[in-house]
Amino acid sequence: MTAVIEDKGAAAPSALGVVPSFTVTLKIRRFNPEVSDEPTWEEYQVEAHGTDRILDALHKIKWEQDGSLTFRRSCAHGVCGSDAMRINGRNRLACKTLLKDVNPDKPITVEPIKGLPVVKDLVVDMEPFFASYREIMPFLITSGNEPTRERLQSAADHAKFDDTTKCILCAACTSSCPVFWTDGQYFGPAAIVNAHRFIFDSRDEGGQQRLDILNDKEGVWRCRTTFNCTEACPRGIQVTKAIQEVKQAMIRRAF
Amino acid sequence: MQTHQYDVVIVGAGGAGMRAALEASTDARTAVISKLYPTRSHTGAAQGGMAAALANVEEDNWEWHTFDTVKGGDYLVDQDAAEILAKEAIDAVLDLEKMGLPFNRTPEGRIDQRRFGGHTRSHGEAAVRRACYAADRTGHMILQTLYQNCVKQNVEFYNEFYVLDLLTDHDLTTEELPDGAEVNATGVVAYDLASGEIHVFQAKAIIFATGGAGKIFKTTSNAHTLTGDGMALAYRRGLPLEDMEFFQFHPTGLAGLGILLSEAARGEGGILRNADGERFMERYAPTIKDLAPRDIVARSMANEVREGRGAGPNKDYVLLDLTHLEPAHIDAKLPDITEFARTYLGVEPYTEPVPVYPTAHYAMGGVPTNVQGEVLRDSHNVVRGLYAAGEVACVSVHGSNRLGTNSLLDINVFGKRSGRAAAAYAKTVDAHLPLPADPAAAVVAQLEDMRSRPDGERVADLRRTLQETMDANAQVFRTGDSLAEAMATIKDLQKRYRNVSVQDKGKLFNTDLLEAIELGFLIDIAEVTVLAALNRKESRGGHYREDFPKRDDVNYMKHTMAYRRPPAASDVADGHIEGYFDHVENLDGYKVVLGSKTVTQTRYEPMERKY
Amino acid sequence: MSTQIETPRSPYTRRKTTRSNYELYGWIFMRASGVLLLVLIFGHLFVNLMTGHGVHSIDFAFVGGKWSTPFWQVWDLLMLWLAMFHGTNGVRTIINDYASKDGTRIVLKGLLYLAFAVIVVLGTLVIFTFNPCPPGSPADLLPSFCAA
Repeated sequence: MTAVIEDKGAAAPSALGVVPSFTVTLKIRRFNPEVSDEPTWEEYQVEAHGTDRILDALHKIKWEQDGSLTFRRSCAHGVCGSDAMRINGRNRLACKTLLKDVNPDKPITVEPIKGLPVVKDLVVDMEPFFASYREIMPFLITSGNEPTRERLQSAADHAKFDDTTKCILCAACTSSCPVFWTDGQYFGPAAIVNAHRFIFDSRDEGGQQRLDILNDKEGVWRCRTTFNCTEACPRGIQVTKAIQEVKQAMIRRAF
Repeated sequence: MQTHQYDVVIVGAGGAGMRAALEASTDARTAVISKLYPTRSHTGAAQGGMAAALANVEEDNWEWHTFDTVKGGDYLVDQDAAEILAKEAIDAVLDLEKMGLPFNRTPEGRIDQRRFGGHTRSHGEAAVRRACYAADRTGHMILQTLYQNCVKQNVEFYNEFYVLDLLTDHDLTTEELPDGAEVNATGVVAYDLASGEIHVFQAKAIIFATGGAGKIFKTTSNAHTLTGDGMALAYRRGLPLEDMEFFQFHPTGLAGLGILLSEAARGEGGILRNADGERFMERYAPTIKDLAPRDIVARSMANEVREGRGAGPNKDYVLLDLTHLEPAHIDAKLPDITEFARTYLGVEPYTEPVPVYPTAHYAMGGVPTNVQGEVLRDSHNVVRGLYAAGEVACVSVHGSNRLGTNSLLDINVFGKRSGRAAAAYAKTVDAHLPLPADPAAAVVAQLEDMRSRPDGERVADLRRTLQETMDANAQVFRTGDSLAEAMATIKDLQKRYRNVSVQDKGKLFNTDLLEAIELGFLIDIAEVTVLAALNRKESRGGHYREDFPKRDDVNYMKHTMAYRRPPAASDVADGHIEGYFDHVENLDGYKVVLGSKTVTQTRYEPMERKY
Repeated sequence: MSTQIETPRSPYTRRKTTRSNYELYGWIFMRASGVLLLVLIFGHLFVNLMTGHGVHSIDFAFVGGKWSTPFWQVWDLLMLWLAMFHGTNGVRTIINDYASKDGTRIVLKGLLYLAFAVIVVLGTLVIFTFNPCPPGSPADLLPSFCAA
């Protein structure tokens, strides 16, 4: 019995017919305000397996080479949204990016996501991000007495906002947006996506207020449809499309 | 050091913590302390659904649900609690819907339901559609919805604060109190990760909702942050841990990685096959086959592999076959898990079966509570002002094996109950009880000691050793020998733990330091798990002893209660039964005494568990 | 910029809410004027380049002839104004997007609006005060109706 399990751990990757182990170089942007005001680039070599993700490589560095390397992580399979970072210049979740998929022959650059203040190494202050999320009233607003049973909703009505319910608030989209990089006041794709989730929910009655909030100089009209957000979203949400749908809703309301 | 005063302090911002916060904050000044941002908690990883006998798609009632829960837990379930769980499930689901949770819908627009393991009609006749779901991200939607409502109610959060100590007015690790003596919880000590500062929270009522401890195992579906903090803190303060030997192994983790593939895959028609393509569950559970409870399926899978019928070049996993399902159906009902298979294993579930193997998933045991969520300090005395809900708690509604979808239910039903009870209790308390003279002294000393140690062993090395020994010796199949081996390793690790050092000595965002502290929690939890497993010389639910393969109701129809006591304390724990629950393990500087607690039985007599 | 550390947990505040339909109308104007400009510009190019002898027939007389009719005056005026509003608004959004300092933004926008005003005023004046038959010019350079 015990032998079976031990075998499993060691042999599983090769059993699945994937790339065998290889050495990969990670070039990580380090920043520690207790040491220096300037960020530095540091390179690390890691032994990796075919199914290893960037997060596994970061863990190997932290656990075997340099314990001071700091990053957030939790679930390690792309549902908690802790470990969004800029990998080879693109925003991704470290736990959802396999090393073999980002050309491990060259050094892989890892940086914190852009546009939010860096706290330490790959950790940024998420507060501004959550603040604009909270501003769009991300909760169901209803009036009148509550029904005894559930509110009814057709499958078609449910489908209108299903895509945007997938958001895990990882900030990959917002911090990939060139507008957000220079203008931290921009609500950002994530806030708009979460507004979309309620504006298009047939049970919700707060759509007008949310449209008012986003009809701001810093609201949806700042979107330049560069599609960076859609490309960055680890959940595959059609972010730009959602923003456009919110714009359309505003125009329909105005005329 | 900063001191805060609240009526209610909730530790943990997962499903149970936020559900409790929604109740408590309407009535009492409430703070939620979480070591993560609220939507990062592992509730978000739950996939398949939340059980409630809504009877939206077929006949169902809460009594059947109660029975399934009791039988699924191999009769070690407290039946009064299970009845509350099943009855209040209906309102729990409707509450969430009214909060805005986007459930999948039936053609009539009502909440859709699907089949799940162990949930049956008429006491086991056939599988029933009871799990309310939002695609395969029900937990994600619950977590988001609860956080959204916390934003709506302006709940105060302390994010990325690690609670490192529980303050009580009596230290139960050193004092032996008479029956009925009053013990109060007075606060918690927390460490602010961002600044490295210590914060003391003085509270009239405290709710622990810190989640599980899956990281004691190597192959696990649990997050890196699930290190059993709440359980270990209570345990270190002399509070017992209940039924820790029962750990659920989820049958379908991605082989080699442990990433969860929901039981919903089988609920929607997925089939488990061995290397020969045989639907082997027909042999183990002829009636409900692949939808048998998780302990049975996990054991059957491990057995197939052990008997040489595993798939793959090393014959070390079985296959989850979805290929007979319509791709459109898969996309509508199981989009996330099929993406996991593609992303992490490069397997296309439309056309290929997915390699799966059991993965450590859920701790049935935890901090014992009554049905109001009040924490017990022995089999019947409560700690005043201390509550627990969710995976950290053991009510016990899951007994020796939890049914799928009952955990999302647990956090909502008992999160709500404990939130209400805590706020109500806080109202009855006039003034905060005094804290000890220097409440943070122990935590500050612990952190300083860890920071200032000379270079020693690495945290990761110890953790790996611990996880590997737990995987090898305390997983699906256990024997007295394997558990003894695990215990020996744990004792060795406890010694080595005194020499671990951290490289990061800084104050700001020092995750290196926190990982070292968390390792201490893990070792403590592993200690209780293995000791309780050694003591339970029977097989029941998630605990399978090859040397005692039968259930033994005569001697072991009892909850295990593990207490950490000083070496000088009496060897007789509450609920001690000569020959069965009188195990005492001497460790360095303390000992662990095992006692028991009676299982509450109301309607259902224990029967043989067949599916 | 991204390394600038604020005091830990510095509260994030929206400077001020700027809710109005201004940006909404701006957004619609850009699209509507864009479509209209396509018609105007291609109409203009077609008349100037494709009809008659094409590019070779463009001279003072040709332009003078066009601007003596109200139709072409309005056409060119529309083209000027729409193009200027469209272009200025476009550059304004680019400045908003890329100028991270308030000072830079104000200076750049000031220059932009000044350029806009000068061109629009001058262009409008020229279209309406244009004299197709300046006295004392050689007759062969003037439109045919000047002879009268």
